[in-house]
Amino acid sequence: MVTGILSMAFVWFLFAGKAPNTILAAACIALGAFFWHFSRHQHDHPLPIDIIAQSSKLNGVNASLKFWTVLASIAICISSKNCYTGIFLMAIAPVIAVYAGGMDFDHYLQILMLPLGFLLLSGLSLLFSVSMTQIEGVASFRALGIWFYATTSSQAMAALVVSRALGAVSCLCILSVTTRMPDIIAVLRRSHCPDAIIDLMYLVYRYIFILMSLHHEMHDAAKSRLGMKDYKTSLRSTGMVYANLLARSYHFAAKNFDAMESRCYDTGIRFLEHSTKITMTQGWVCAVLLAVGAALSLMPL
Amino acid sequence: MSDLLKIENVSYQYDGKYRALNNVSVSFAEGELVAVLGSNGAGKSTFFLCCNGVLKLQSGKIVYNGVELKGNKKDTFTLRQAVGLVFQDPDSQIIAGTVESEVSFGPLNLELSKEEVEKRVEESLVQMDILRYRDYAPHYLSGGEKKRVSIADILAMQPSIILLDEPTASLDPQNTDALEHILLALNESGITIILSTHDVNFAYRIANRAIVFADGEIIADANVDEVFSQEDTLKKAGLKKPLLYEAFEHIQKAGLCKRSEKKPRTIEEFAWLMGDADALA
Repeated sequence: MVTGILSMAFVWFLFAGKAPNTILAAACIALGAFFWHFSRHQHDHPLPIDIIAQSSKLNGVNASLKFWTVLASIAICISSKNCYTGIFLMAIAPVIAVYAGGMDFDHYLQILMLPLGFLLLSGLSLLFSVSMTQIEGVASFRALGIWFYATTSSQAMAALVVSRALGAVSCLCILSVTTRMPDIIAVLRRSHCPDAIIDLMYLVYRYIFILMSLHHEMHDAAKSRLGMKDYKTSLRSTGMVYANLLARSYHFAAKNFDAMESRCYDTGIRFLEHSTKITMTQGWVCAVLLAVGAALSLMPL
Repeated sequence: MSDLLKIENVSYQYDGKYRALNNVSVSFAEGELVAVLGSNGAGKSTFFLCCNGVLKLQSGKIVYNGVELKGNKKDTFTLRQAVGLVFQDPDSQIIAGTVESEVSFGPLNLELSKEEVEKRVEESLVQMDILRYRDYAPHYLSGGEKKRVSIADILAMQPSIILLDEPTASLDPQNTDALEHILLALNESGITIILSTHDVNFAYRIANRAIVFADGEIIADANVDEVFSQEDTLKKAGLKKPLLYEAFEHIQKAGLCKRSEKKPRTIEEFAWLMGDADALA
């Protein structure tokens, strides 16, 4: 819901003075209705991202191809001097993830919702400047004795930054919903990323789930003993849960290292890696995607 | 049978204070199925960590296949390859993001070719009946499935001896039964199985030999029937007799048993001894 309100405000102030108010109001209401409808149908228990990646139809596509295409798209998007590349990537991302990958559109939006909220908030802060005296701009209002105003140049700047950021986030979203984390780490290993970083990535990925499950158990145990009965008690219980979690994570780390050593671990964690062949179609799709992105980035404003 | 692994006068102290193992000597022959019994803190886990070479011996020696292993890098590698250790909690052992990568970790550390690693991984997954989970993330598997993954981890390294630390801990009866079948099948294939457990019923059903630890020392090492007949040993180790064993003793005492060749290890053997001729069919 918050993202819906933020998106309405952002669109209103971004196009203020550029489009008739009635059309702008209709667009904002449509946007708000879309987010309201989505928030009503939001899943209570969202699917973990690695389950989505595992079941994606694009999971079998060569991970290196996906990784480098996404990275190149991000580079083109953030170096672009106009909004078109960002908008293009933002539009093409759900097509790839939902149509080609076979995931639910609701799940896609749910994943995008949090970064979208942050980006819109940043967009609004870019749109507005503050002043103690009234300054005429394309839009202005007074709150808490301070004047907030937007100008055409701030609108252009906000549009450019937000479109770049949303384009890049959409690219990352495609990668995370179509490629499992171990496959991404394997691509980084093949790209000669230092062993220490790769080892840490593998262990951090694994431990996120172990510690999350442990935290969940400890939290429930505290709750069952009335540890969350009021604000003050819950603060104390949460502190104790986190302290215990830290101690347990040290214990886990020591045990884990023993288990690795017992299986002849010496230097560097290595796992079996499979690399699927890149088909002609996949190669062409990626090349066309990058070419369109690059062509759009060179277009004049 | 010749000794495959021999532990001689091994002692181990944590932080130079707490003595976890005190002058332990024991040997294991090829194809044995041994239960290591004892209460919490008796030294079972430390013993396993020493047998696998994770803990460096502070005194004593380890002889594998007639060769004394000195504790240098090469010998430690040989020991870890030959003696696999399955940890009590699979989450302490599993480190990879998929089941297949997890099982490949050990063989890759053995510097085997990719083809050989792939072959071993597939064989281990088939043996543990988890081939269908090869692309799954281990954190979405059940406790029993994770335990199978942790055993497959070790099987893929093709050790001669597998040590299992509390293998039945936190397993439901169905998974305990499945594990029992897996361990018996592995033992039949020639692998020496040494498992530590508190579950005397499980140990009595599965093992031929029992070693009892108390306060870091071995206080009994004999056939399971013999160990469970030693009241003093069980009392000192804080153990109880298996239910079937104790019930049969009472039945024998009351003269209700039709046959009395040997003590029953399983409920089917018990029924047969009580006169049900079809029980072992």
